[in-house]
Amino acid sequence: MTFEMISGSQAAATAVQRVGVDLIAAYPITPQTAIVETLADFDARGELGGEFVSVESEYSALAFCTGASASGARVFTATASHGLAYMHEMIHWSSGARLPIVMVNVNRAIGAPWCLDPDQGDSLSQRDTGWLQIYCANAQEVFDTVLQAFSLAEKLLLPCMVVFDGFYISHTYEVVDIAEKSLVQSLIGPPNFKAQVVPGYPENLHGLSTGETVHKLVKNRDDAMHLAPEVFAEINKQFKKVFGRSYQDVDEYIPAGARKAFMAVGALAETVKWSLPDLENIGLIKLRMFRPFPAERLRAIVKAYELEEIIVLDRNYSIGSGGVFAQELCQALYQLPVKPVIRDLILAGGIDLTGDMLLNMLSAGNAETNDQYLEVWGDHLK
Amino acid sequence: MQLIASQVPTLFAGGSKAITVNKTGEWRFLTPFKMNRLSPCRQGCLLDGEIPAWLEAVKQKKWAEAWEIMSRYNPFPAITGYVCFNPCEQNCNRTQLDQGINIRAVEKAIGLWRLDHYQPPERNKEVKKEIAIVGSGPAGLSCAYYLSSAGYGVTIYERSAVIGGMLALGIPEYRLPRDILRQELAILKAEGIIFKTNSALGKDFQLDDLYKQHEQVFLATGAWLARKSNIPGAESRYVYNALDFLCQYNQSRIPEVGKTVVVIGGGNAAIDSARSALRIAGVQHVVLIYRRSRPEMPADQHEIDLAEQEGVEFIFNALPREIIKTEERIIGVRIDYCRTEKQGLFVDRDRSFIKDCQSVIMALGQVPDLAGLGTINSSQNIFAGGDLVSGPATVAEAIKAGHCAAEAIKNVDEKLKDLSFQANYGDPVTFEYLNLAARNNLDLKQRDDNPVAEAERCLGCGTCNSCGICYLYCPDLAVVIANGRFEFNLDYCKGCGICVNECPARALEMKEEPANDF
Amino acid sequence: MKPEALVHQQEMVYSGHNACPGCGAALAVRFLTKALGSNIAVALTASCWSIIAGMPPLNALKCPVLHCPFPSAGSVGSGLKRGLEAKGYHETTVVVLAGDGGTFDIGLQALSGAAQRNEDFIFVCYDNEAYMNTGMQTSSATPFGARTNTAPYPLFKEGEKKDIMQIMAAHSVPYIATATIAYPEDLDAKLKKAKAIKGFRFIHILSPCPPGWGTESSETVEISRLAVTTGFFPLFEVDNGTTWRMTVQADIKSVPLSEYLGRQKRFKNMDQAKLEHLQAEVDRDYKKLMAKVAK
Repeated sequence: MTFEMISGSQAAATAVQRVGVDLIAAYPITPQTAIVETLADFDARGELGGEFVSVESEYSALAFCTGASASGARVFTATASHGLAYMHEMIHWSSGARLPIVMVNVNRAIGAPWCLDPDQGDSLSQRDTGWLQIYCANAQEVFDTVLQAFSLAEKLLLPCMVVFDGFYISHTYEVVDIAEKSLVQSLIGPPNFKAQVVPGYPENLHGLSTGETVHKLVKNRDDAMHLAPEVFAEINKQFKKVFGRSYQDVDEYIPAGARKAFMAVGALAETVKWSLPDLENIGLIKLRMFRPFPAERLRAIVKAYELEEIIVLDRNYSIGSGGVFAQELCQALYQLPVKPVIRDLILAGGIDLTGDMLLNMLSAGNAETNDQYLEVWGDHLK
Repeated sequence: MQLIASQVPTLFAGGSKAITVNKTGEWRFLTPFKMNRLSPCRQGCLLDGEIPAWLEAVKQKKWAEAWEIMSRYNPFPAITGYVCFNPCEQNCNRTQLDQGINIRAVEKAIGLWRLDHYQPPERNKEVKKEIAIVGSGPAGLSCAYYLSSAGYGVTIYERSAVIGGMLALGIPEYRLPRDILRQELAILKAEGIIFKTNSALGKDFQLDDLYKQHEQVFLATGAWLARKSNIPGAESRYVYNALDFLCQYNQSRIPEVGKTVVVIGGGNAAIDSARSALRIAGVQHVVLIYRRSRPEMPADQHEIDLAEQEGVEFIFNALPREIIKTEERIIGVRIDYCRTEKQGLFVDRDRSFIKDCQSVIMALGQVPDLAGLGTINSSQNIFAGGDLVSGPATVAEAIKAGHCAAEAIKNVDEKLKDLSFQANYGDPVTFEYLNLAARNNLDLKQRDDNPVAEAERCLGCGTCNSCGICYLYCPDLAVVIANGRFEFNLDYCKGCGICVNECPARALEMKEEPANDF
Repeated sequence: MKPEALVHQQEMVYSGHNACPGCGAALAVRFLTKALGSNIAVALTASCWSIIAGMPPLNALKCPVLHCPFPSAGSVGSGLKRGLEAKGYHETTVVVLAGDGGTFDIGLQALSGAAQRNEDFIFVCYDNEAYMNTGMQTSSATPFGARTNTAPYPLFKEGEKKDIMQIMAAHSVPYIATATIAYPEDLDAKLKKAKAIKGFRFIHILSPCPPGWGTESSETVEISRLAVTTGFFPLFEVDNGTTWRMTVQADIKSVPLSEYLGRQKRFKNMDQAKLEHLQAEVDRDYKKLMAKVAK
């Protein structure tokens, strides 16, 4: 173990350096900038291994990665907020093209108006694109998840987005085991996926296809994505052997007998987890893997603990509809004959969650109507 | 669980297929065709030869093919390569670019190739019918060639001891090397053609005799009767008529001519005589007198140039009045200047002079000698051609006449149809009509003697000459290369017409294909 | 010209592709891939060739083709080349193919970025002067006065054709050149020259479009020839943004611009004033070019 006091962004960049990447496309945007700068520092010290290229926009960054990944190279980029939105077309394209690109997205609200707070809507609005999405709750998770993402992506031939909160995680410093390069590489290994562009093999890649073909391709992608929990478990089994720690797609912290649980993602989950001892009879479902959405796992948890109420923390909002995590949870639980009540705490705009807000949320649920579904906006709870 | 790559669902199974399965030829409603438009060289050719076609074959170094095309109209390119006056070259469109093609050099090269590569038949061929030809000049030889190639037995009756007519006796060695003639005749003999020399019609045999052994008869006795001059002094042993002079000269029986020779006349025989006289040892000076001007001389202009370069003195607009002689010798010719007026030639006796000379050659023209023919039985077919019918003309015309006769003889059982070879092609392709822009700065090149180099300079003028532009400019690569030539691949041709528009030779046209039944 | 040398060079395009009859872009890509040979990889952005290339697994080209979204040509090409290098393919030439839209308009950012980074590939713009694949809409490459389906009569393209060559020259990349299909030897020589150079190379190929320009399908090559001889599309090359050189001399005074415009229905409604405007533009640009060449 090699411990250092680093920020979440630095942890992400260090993981990239440890894994060994062929090409990095870099474009800065708050609050991701430290990632590309840390990678640049590695490059300056001759420790990067691959090529670091400053490109002229986020769209170009992902397009660059697409071209490079198609040749079989291992690639990385990072962005946030507006940058992610700008890349949207390429995010679709790179998934359809089955390219194992790893990208970090640091959550930040998308304008108008300008806002730097960690609304998660940026990554969530990419949920239909066919990328794997894993959310991290602290800097160590960031480091470990980025490492694992390369392996996961290359095995499934799907791009993987590693997401964490702007400022709360990107800019705060924690003690992180940043491992040794040789150790990491002995586990993750060199790029291991079939190149699409091979000189001498005249493939017509991603050319015009019929709806019938795309129908099959979409199903195909989805089938690949649904292998993720299994593959992820396998990766983590090996990870545990080497590093002594491992992760799941969903973590549960539910005391025996508790019939209520929060569901939270990212830094919020960390906050709730630390608050649990102060709250009575309530647990936490920490969602890590958002795509594929772990519907079966969630149904199993609800059944196993006989949960009657789930309070979802949504640091996002799909305007005209509702909080995204709550919606997806509802869809997953729809099949159950007995469904828990869902309370959705909206923290859109990336507003801060305090202990008082949590307590008020708990009582708000009791005081209001017997609706199966209740939406509560964060500023009402202050 | 150990995930193997092949278990990961993905439709990228690999492999690609060429898009050639898509037959875009089905799109078109017009199709490009290769044409054979009349080229100006062909228009000028007295034999109607497919000149651009054999030039293209030579360009490709396909000599056997070049000979095959040539022989369809001309069986003796080695001979014509030496003696033809090449009216084709005068029409050549390339003259308007840099210099005209040296068609003569290419024709000669094909002829020489023919002579070098001739293979005699392995055994005697079966003969359909026996034909008699009277006269072994170019008309008779040509007729013999075409009849023999078609499976007929041919016998040629020649009155002199020498075979070849004008080729042997009229045209001097420096214009037609006798070795060439000898090789051509050897080929004809090897093909089974029989030559009977010293056999004169009307003397050694009569016309009726021929019909006893032969199905048909072709008369090609030429025009050997010289027009005589009746000026005082013309009866002298040192006054020669041109044909007699040339016959003797060409058989190496050099006539006595002294130091200065005067030649009267303006035709090819006059020039041949003048240039031959120059070559006789002892001759110092040759003067040619012609009654009109130089451009009006019927002789080939190129030959006139050569005569001039060789030192022949020309006196134009002059007539001989009298030959001044002693008992034994000629000492000179009195010459008057003349001019052409509306009423005719006006002789200016006031402007007269004497040219000293020891001999005079009269080249006043020839006419056919019909005396030996006797009476012709109207119930028999009789064919005639060459100078005998037309009066003095060219070797090329004689060859064509012999070819026509052969065709007529072959078709004698059918109704006589129009055997004119000059098919109606329309107007020849002009220089302006060519599409030279497609060639983007054609390399300008001087004319030279290299046949392949000259063949490369041919612009095609209405015939495909395999330049490759259509191949290059087809967006669908629907032109394929087959043996150095270019063919349309109709499986893919969309009928866009770029090839037709760009063809430098204007040898292509878009047409509707015959309708298919769907 | 001696077609023989080009005729016998290897072809990299198959028959059976779906280009319109007489398509200039089909000829452009045929010639450029012929010049570059078989060790190439193509990144192809949204344009007519996205369709001409065929539906997978069919391929109209004999090399790998990586389709990519409209704005991304310059950046996908950058990644592809660097990726191939990382994988050890040092000899493979990466060619990025884009239409005028994917070069002048939506693709300009990525093009400029790649040029500024001196990325090591050849960017080829085959220019049919409008968004032809989507049905002839105006692009910034459309010449002044032309009508399109987004500027239908009595409307017309009001701005001038964007001077992409000056833009690329300003990036001081190793090599840029114009070319067109009526001068295949010139095009071939330029692509071969480009192939031997490391760094960013840009080739702008004028590719007439019969349906879009309103010309006969048989006239495509002739029209592109007229574009050069009238001075509308001069053929030149620039080394390192500093040394300008004409590669085909044309006496543009001998062929009036109206000869070129008169053959194309998209210029049918040019009145005298518009004609003079366009002629003045062509003259001015030609003079500017000559001044650069003279130095």
